[in-house]
Amino acid sequence: MNSRSKRTLNSNSTNKSTNKKKKTNQKTLGVAWTAANSRSAFKSSPFSDTASYMAVKNQKLHEQFDAAASTSVQEELSSGKPIFHGVSIFVDGFTIPSSQELKGYMLKYGGRFENYFSRHRVTHIICSNLPDSKMKNLRSFSAGLPVLKPTWVLDSVAAKKLLSWHSYQLDQLATETEGQPKLSTFFPLKRSPFSCNYATNVIGQPMSKIEDQKPKLDAVVTKNLYGEGQIIKELEHCSNVSDLPLKVDPVVNKNSRGKSEYVEEIKHTNVETDSSLNRSLSKAKDEDIRFNDLKPCEPNTSETGEPNTSEPGDGTSDGILAGSKLKSGSPGQPSTSNSRYREDKQKISESSILRAGMGPSHSTLEDPNFVENYFKHSRLHFIGTWRNRYRKRFPATYSGIKGTNSSHHTCVTDEKATIIHVDMDCFFVSVIIRNHPELQDKPVAVCHSDNPRGTAEISSANYPARAYGVRAGIFVRDAKSICPDLVIVPYNFEAYEEVADQFYDILHKHCNKVQAVSCDEAFLDVSDSEVEDHQHLASIIRNEVFDTTGCKASVGISGNMLMARLATRTAKPDGQFYIPADKVEEYLNELPIKALPGIGHVLEDKLKRTNVKTCKQLRLLSKESLQKEFGLKTGDMLWNYSRGIDNRSVGVFQESKSIGAEVNWGVRFNNLEHCQQFLLNLCKEVSLRLQGGGVQGRTFTLKVKKRKNDARDPVKYMGCGDCENLSHSITVPMATDDVDALQRITIKLFDLFHIDVKEIRGMGLQVSKLGNADNSHQGNQNNSLRSWLVSAPNTNKDQCEVRSIAEGSCERDVKNQNACGNLGQSCTNTFVGGDISSSEGHANEDSVLPALCDLDMGVIENLPPDLFSELNNRYGGKLITFLSKHKGKRAESDIGGMIFEDRETLFSSVVPLRPCKAEKKGAVKEAEAAAASGVVAATIDSLFSENDDVMPYSLSQIDVSVLHQLPEEMRADILELLPAHRKHECVSDLGPAKSCSQQSFDSNNSKDLSGPRESISSNDFWLGNPPTWVEDFKKSGFLVLSVFADSYYKSGSTGQLSSILQRAMSDFVPSLDSTPDCLDDAILCLCNLFKQYIKLKIETDIEEIYLCFRLLKRLSRKSTFFLEAYTIILPEIQATVGEKYGGNFFA
Amino acid sequence: MYKRKNQTTPQGETARILVEFMEVAITSIVFLKGVYSPGAFERRRYMNVVAHKARHPQLRDYIHHSLTALLPSIEKGLVERVAVVFFNKENIQVEKFVFKLTVNQSYDSEVEQTDLEFSLKSFLTKLSVSESLTKVLPRDCRWQIMSYFHSLPQFTESTGAEFWIPTDIQQWQQPPLITPIKSMSSEPLGVQLYLEHPSLSGLQP
Repeated sequence: MNSRSKRTLNSNSTNKSTNKKKKTNQKTLGVAWTAANSRSAFKSSPFSDTASYMAVKNQKLHEQFDAAASTSVQEELSSGKPIFHGVSIFVDGFTIPSSQELKGYMLKYGGRFENYFSRHRVTHIICSNLPDSKMKNLRSFSAGLPVLKPTWVLDSVAAKKLLSWHSYQLDQLATETEGQPKLSTFFPLKRSPFSCNYATNVIGQPMSKIEDQKPKLDAVVTKNLYGEGQIIKELEHCSNVSDLPLKVDPVVNKNSRGKSEYVEEIKHTNVETDSSLNRSLSKAKDEDIRFNDLKPCEPNTSETGEPNTSEPGDGTSDGILAGSKLKSGSPGQPSTSNSRYREDKQKISESSILRAGMGPSHSTLEDPNFVENYFKHSRLHFIGTWRNRYRKRFPATYSGIKGTNSSHHTCVTDEKATIIHVDMDCFFVSVIIRNHPELQDKPVAVCHSDNPRGTAEISSANYPARAYGVRAGIFVRDAKSICPDLVIVPYNFEAYEEVADQFYDILHKHCNKVQAVSCDEAFLDVSDSEVEDHQHLASIIRNEVFDTTGCKASVGISGNMLMARLATRTAKPDGQFYIPADKVEEYLNELPIKALPGIGHVLEDKLKRTNVKTCKQLRLLSKESLQKEFGLKTGDMLWNYSRGIDNRSVGVFQESKSIGAEVNWGVRFNNLEHCQQFLLNLCKEVSLRLQGGGVQGRTFTLKVKKRKNDARDPVKYMGCGDCENLSHSITVPMATDDVDALQRITIKLFDLFHIDVKEIRGMGLQVSKLGNADNSHQGNQNNSLRSWLVSAPNTNKDQCEVRSIAEGSCERDVKNQNACGNLGQSCTNTFVGGDISSSEGHANEDSVLPALCDLDMGVIENLPPDLFSELNNRYGGKLITFLSKHKGKRAESDIGGMIFEDRETLFSSVVPLRPCKAEKKGAVKEAEAAAASGVVAATIDSLFSENDDVMPYSLSQIDVSVLHQLPEEMRADILELLPAHRKHECVSDLGPAKSCSQQSFDSNNSKDLSGPRESISSNDFWLGNPPTWVEDFKKSGFLVLSVFADSYYKSGSTGQLSSILQRAMSDFVPSLDSTPDCLDDAILCLCNLFKQYIKLKIETDIEEIYLCFRLLKRLSRKSTFFLEAYTIILPEIQATVGEKYGGNFFA
Repeated sequence: MYKRKNQTTPQGETARILVEFMEVAITSIVFLKGVYSPGAFERRRYMNVVAHKARHPQLRDYIHHSLTALLPSIEKGLVERVAVVFFNKENIQVEKFVFKLTVNQSYDSEVEQTDLEFSLKSFLTKLSVSESLTKVLPRDCRWQIMSYFHSLPQFTESTGAEFWIPTDIQQWQQPPLITPIKSMSSEPLGVQLYLEHPSLSGLQP
């Protein structure tokens, strides 16, 4: 035990002490150190000469140090007392004061200074700052040694004694442990090589010192070490091992003087030993021991055997471990948490009895099996999943009953009908204590944690305990305060299962109409039973149950389920009660309404307000008034129940409407990976449950509990605290229970939350719209078509155009959803769209093949032949013809694939931003969002028709800011595709985004609108962006000019006349020439444009002018229009160039 | 580098960059025109494009010194053009490579060398493919660097222009034909490189 725990590393372990101790530490610590720390690589270096060199160097350094120390000690003998005796520091990196000064202090005050780090010799690491990498891997860096600020040395010198280093821990380290403790602090990685044990590491020494004392006291000593918290700290700092016994002694003394609570409890069973440990641990906590000091206790528990008071040495240290674990499981004050989650939320940690073989699992952070363990230890989960187990166990009877149900239904109200209700007495407790006769008459409660200060909730209490007022749902510490003798036992799910199975075996033996309510409660319909005396039958059953299981059951007998159940109430504990039909009214008269099933707090309060407290009073109310007051169903129920009428028939096993799993305790994430890992585990759990129930679901709801912004640390330890409940759901066309599918859906759902994972305090996945799994034979399909089609979109975007669009629409829908809050519907839409491909392959009748026109031919074409033929078959051969048609169409289309795809991606980026805007626009948002999705629809359609349809019909559907961000060529491309009259809409839309020069353009523009004619000859054609002429030319009414203006955009809006001309060259059609009307004006405009351009550029860029000149010349050969312009412009150019450059262009 | 920047004006910095560039550009032009055998040059990289460097010290020094001497004038914006003139035995110009310089005298913020270099680099690139624009030179051709000042410079010690002498090359009678090669204009500096050839009518004499 000791040696095992010592191999663990701990930041608090003090490796200085005696040679003996050092030795053990060396041997065991070495493993971790050399493995983890590369800095010591030279030790294991294959180059022996380096190693020997270092050895010699170290030796020499030590000699030098010793020599220096001896002289300095002689010198300073008067002033410096050896306060640092036994301390050996290693200075890492830059410090203030410098390492040399620190070395000086060490020399002076009897410490040692190491130039090279060695875990054998160094006891403290001094540094001012640690790099991130070292922080992350602190253990491998520090080997568990304390990492301190240099002020520790200075202050110690100033105080003339060795100060506790606790407050001198490096800030980076200290802050890490402050604030709300994270799970990671408590539970190191399960597979961590440093499975550490703080307790034994410290305790080991004193234990050996007092070995000759009574073993019992050993335990007390160790406990007191915890109880006195402070001592531990001192133990840690004390450099002299000789101090240890001294420190321990007073504790022992104290103990012998009689710290009664401890002594007393030692005599108890191991269970109580633990609770006393808990108490002392809690005390330790009060003494402000850091959480992380305790954390190392955890992992060992999985290795240790069951503790036993007869072996105090081992047992108690184990006890401490267990205790610390329990403690970490539940300190705190009363919780206000929602009672619905109360039980579920509790992570069942094991106390000493069950500890053997149980792994710790408190963390969503580090424990990969957290979810699994969480549910493994949840009572509600046990009850919830028990049904499946039951159904599987008694399938014949179950279905048989169902079959006879209808015929039976009529005779339910029959006078002869007799229903027996069997209910085990405090099942969860009695199963546990059936093997502990000594506990039979003691108050016992079941809870996963027995920390007397804890906030764990009691889940069940036996009758002696109930007499004290211990009820299910109260906190352990409250229970302990009402009933100090309360014994708390943990769950034993295997035992529960075993007993429940035995219980039902008996019931089924005596009756073939059994309706299981829960694992410990059932209705039997014995109307047709051969046994005439139902009371006798009941007692037979009770006896048999007790004989077999060792647990007591109570039985109520009456004419219907309601009355049988009420009878059981009277029968309890351990009895039976018969209410004959004629006694029903009498029985009900005085029955408080609360006792009726279906009446909870709310209903009770309501009724009490109308002064109805008993069933008799309730009977006075008319059915109508009840229905009016409480609703049709509830009113009906109240009216019936108050008269002892219950029309339900035995045997109807309520099908669950939804299956899910939820974790609200211990959920903390550091990053998205953690969270996704958790989700995966949750999906696995849900999938298992679905498969266990033999059902598949179509609607998936992901619930997230998000910490409220102002929420403080939760009252309940690791609880969810004050949370916002968020949820998103999705309905898929195809029911599933597949883990992969679930995970995919869940991650999609999770993405909708846009939530910081650190804020998450709980998550749950609920599956509804359940259907029987049997008729969908998806097994092999899973692996073939569907999974391929589904995964393809993620891996190969080029191939799957439809998918990307569909994905786009998902996004959009999501946004709609945010904007309009139209949750369900849009989700459904999304997934009908998004999963087109995923549903394709299914032979299931539920799944509908997408219409041929919805298929993406790009995908289809690229399908492997076998998949294609499979798909083709599903479409009855139409696919091939469709495909060939599509190919033909594609060949016809002018625009090549590349541009086409460009545009498409363009649109998926242009359009989706729209809904964001829509959010701001309040009232119109819905309409706009709808429009946006309309665009997508159009986009999808256009995939299969002419490509030009890709364009949205109106610019209002394009996000201008996105457009603006696009490369100019792309923008021009889009604009080109817009219907001409839309273009300036866009231009002016673009305007505001541009610089202030735009402003002048705008004003110009408005001016120009008044008199387009004069604007043509205006002098600032080239002002603004786009230059004013573009607009003017458009409005000029000359086709040639507007074509020319269009070229501006197509050329990429660079403002270079040469590129516009170049573009115009390719665009220009001679037919444009044949509009001679007012051509002169147009030519004049063009010449003006050129002149102004030349003026603009002549000083700086004759290259450009030359280019324009050449291009115009070429254009002039094609068109008379440009020829005329050329002849006018040429002299202008030549003159200007000649003026500036003293030469001419080669004409 | 920093100190130097602080000491000099933006114009000084611009001029320095420009002169350095022109040294390379002119060498490249000379190489391009094949006045000397290719062995007189070695390939180098300048601003990450291939350029040529004269191996012969006299050639190298001529280009270097003439431009360095021009530096103060360029800085002051006195130099309008710098031309590389190729002329025949009769001292008649055959071809002129003209750098038209515009050093903005009112520019007063820091000059970004990288920005300028990026623009200037394109000259070198363009030059290397402009051979087709040029004429084949007659044999026994000579060349010189010629600079055009806005006004006649004061030949004082300080300007360094004392190395410059008035040219005796015969000017064209007719306005030449201009073939732009490359232009750049930025705030601190505008450079235009173009070719001048005698106009068809001016070829006669």
